Amino acid sequence: MKYKDALTTSMTLLGQVDNTIFLGQSIVYPGHAMFHTLRGVPLEKKIEMPVAEELQMGISAGLALEGYLPISIFPRMDFLMCCMNQLVNHLDKIEQMSCGQYRPKVIIRTSIGSVSPLNPGPQHCQDHIGTLRKALKNIPVWACKSSQGVLLNYEVAMKYEGSVVLVEYTDLYEEES
Amino acid sequence: MITSNELRAFEEDIKEEFLAGSIRAPIHLSGGNEEQLISIFRDVIPNDWVFSTHRSHYHALLKGVPPELVKHEIMAGRSMHLNFKEYKFFTSSIVAGCCPIAVGVAMAIKRRGGSEKVWCFVGDMAAKAGIFRESCEYAGRNTLPITFVVEDNEFSTNTPTDKAWGDYRWYYNMDTGYTYKRIYPHINAGKWVDFK
Repeated sequence: MKYKDALTTSMTLLGQVDNTIFLGQSIVYPGHAMFHTLRGVPLEKKIEMPVAEELQMGISAGLALEGYLPISIFPRMDFLMCCMNQLVNHLDKIEQMSCGQYRPKVIIRTSIGSVSPLNPGPQHCQDHIGTLRKALKNIPVWACKSSQGVLLNYEVAMKYEGSVVLVEYTDLYEEES
Repeated sequence: MITSNELRAFEEDIKEEFLAGSIRAPIHLSGGNEEQLISIFRDVIPNDWVFSTHRSHYHALLKGVPPELVKHEIMAGRSMHLNFKEYKFFTSSIVAGCCPIAVGVAMAIKRRGGSEKVWCFVGDMAAKAGIFRESCEYAGRNTLPITFVVEDNEFSTNTPTDKAWGDYRWYYNMDTGYTYKRIYPHINAGKWVDFK
């Protein structure tokens, strides 16, 4: 199975869960390779967000407080860094801040940008997994390094009781694994 | 609804507890804005959400959280994180941190056709933050059921807002607010406490 097909399968399965909702950039309109992996998700479950990463992460937490399971999509990990206040100071700490009363669950999907055949330079292809793992005390960061890894990670993420960050590699999209 | 005198008495009690060394965490006392808040909370119904700040004692009491429960949390060192799920009350002590979360809750309410709404309180310096502006604009353009309330006491901690921002009373056109003079210091109770 191709890596991108595993992502499409995982998104389609998530889209079949009652309370899921997908938000981010290139969700409804094309613009990133991720867009094509969402073709199996019903349109009414997709919210195209403005480029406002902190707003998007906060909205994701708020939707989760009201019972939704947001799949919050940031096409590149470099862009995810723009929402650190909401990710590190809020989503990661809300359960602790509220003594367990609020336990918002958000599945955060992001990617490490491809460098082949076009290298976008230092702002669009960074691997910040180590940085995130140091900053997040309660939210795990899982790297999806193969098709099987994608399928397994999303299956576990669905059952996991808290939020997770799932990182994919755009350079692997056409790989069979 | 709780009265002005009861609000002031509550904070005076908390102040005395702090000065006695009984609270082992920072506190941010409210005061000077009782009438303004009572007026706003007349429109807040029990099923509404309230999002608050580091200075949240009055908000919690006016939302209907029992005073003994609010005091219990404060005495336990959680003045800066008063959260009461049963009362749909949420606090963040990061400046303007609640704003986008409140927008997300409002979005959820609208999507499921709920009739309740969201109230999000911020200070005057928070109202200058980019995330506040983004939140107001997104909520307004998507007609989400949320009201942002700017509580303008002219300071952020002890920094005069006009000294940092200049003529700052230019708020986004989708929020409401009020001005007041605070009667307590920004943090704690204004006297040295010997924590032994």
